[in-house]
Amino acid sequence: MENILEIRNLCKKYNGFELQNVNITLPKGMIMGFIGENGAGKTTTIKAILDIIKNYTGEIKIFGLDNRKDEKKIKEDIGVVLDDMFFPEILTPNDINSVMKDIYKNWDSELYFKYLTDFALPKTKAIKTLSKGMRKKLEIAVAISHHPKLLILDEPTAGLDPIARNEVIDIFQGFIQNEECSIFISSHITSDLEHIADYITFINAGKIILSKTREELLEDYGIVKCSKEEFEKIDKSDFIKYKKCKYEYEILVENRKIFSRKYSINTIDRVTLENLMVLMIKGEKEC
Amino acid sequence: MLGFIKKDLLMIKSNIKILAILLLIYLVMAFQGQMSLSFLLPFLSVMVMMSTFSYDSYNKWDAYVISLPNGRKNSVKAKYLATIIIIILTTIIITILSFAVSYVKTNIIDFGSITVTIFGCLFATILLQSFIYPAMYKFGPEKARIVLMVIVFCVAIAGGIVTTYFDLSPLIKILEFINVYWLIVIPIAMILMLYISYKISERIYFKKEI
Repeated sequence: MENILEIRNLCKKYNGFELQNVNITLPKGMIMGFIGENGAGKTTTIKAILDIIKNYTGEIKIFGLDNRKDEKKIKEDIGVVLDDMFFPEILTPNDINSVMKDIYKNWDSELYFKYLTDFALPKTKAIKTLSKGMRKKLEIAVAISHHPKLLILDEPTAGLDPIARNEVIDIFQGFIQNEECSIFISSHITSDLEHIADYITFINAGKIILSKTREELLEDYGIVKCSKEEFEKIDKSDFIKYKKCKYEYEILVENRKIFSRKYSINTIDRVTLENLMVLMIKGEKEC
Repeated sequence: MLGFIKKDLLMIKSNIKILAILLLIYLVMAFQGQMSLSFLLPFLSVMVMMSTFSYDSYNKWDAYVISLPNGRKNSVKAKYLATIIIIILTTIIITILSFAVSYVKTNIIDFGSITVTIFGCLFATILLQSFIYPAMYKFGPEKARIVLMVIVFCVAIAGGIVTTYFDLSPLIKILEFINVYWLIVIPIAMILMLYISYKISERIYFKKEI
């Protein structure tokens, strides 16, 4: 399968934070959810992909091309939604059309205005007068109106109410109908990704700690709930992390079916991305 | 490139009402003889373009623009080209208004004096913007204002020291030369200043960690 995005050994050092050997591969036609807590390195990774930050090492290939050498060619085919970074808010959606048609070769004004109508966005009101949800929808309309092949989205649903989030997710699902298109989406709202992502990549403290297909994660991984006595009987190599709760132990296991064959513990739930994140970050390993 | 220039001009257009009111107030003051309209040229041009830097910074446009094709390269170039457009427009407006004020007040148009004053103000505008822009790109609009104030203060102190303790005859010779050939020297100096400023800003922006 052709890869639309390949990151190899990406490193970037800041004072007090470091991206360490980040490796990510996104095949064509897929959606990758990029999860991690605030400050884990999601935005830094996205900024490196887009060459916004400087002095990083490693290799980033988009559409098989180097992100720095072939920057212009690559960016013609990328649509971005960045967290809190957009057009100056005194401009209107009409102004944005007038600007963007001279920036992107493939800018499609007709499609852009269709999205504005579909999303019920005003054409002549300044961005500053729009609600957060409307503004986000405008950012997405701008990102997809030049027929990009790859969408890079940084926290596109952050701060939105459930209705607006649902609408935004629908837009992405519409975009991915074209099998040539892919989405790389960072979010700490994991429930959104459970619906749309084909792959989940988990970053913590600047390191990729997990990258799997959604099926692998949600079908295979499990959370075992057991008593202290039961927990003490479990071999340390049979679980990833555990958390001691008030009345029970929660244990993250890589394969709940294999685990259930080995141990006679009845309560093994499927994992959600949220409790996977919590256990991976806050859970302990040493007994 | 055109898109980036348009973005700045559209932002300025959004504030056109405020600018028109400001111009009207100054026009009234000029008719009353309280001030010369020419001084509005550096004030308006610099203020208008500084506001675009502030809006850009507030909405983190700098990071967004780099995600666009050739964004890092073209946005700096576009800022300087938009500046040139604004300076030309402001100069035309101020010149016409200055002629009008002169005619209404004295029934004659003092072309020579008005043209020289406007030329001087144009030079001051470009000198100011050539210094401001690299500072804007390096420090951002908030810090750049402080840095510029410090620079102006230091230049004033240095000027004071030079005029008090040093022989100024070479400087006087240069000024005499400029006085004779100002029509050639000043336009060349303005173009050079803007070009050098642009190159410095471009370099700063290319290396900038956003």
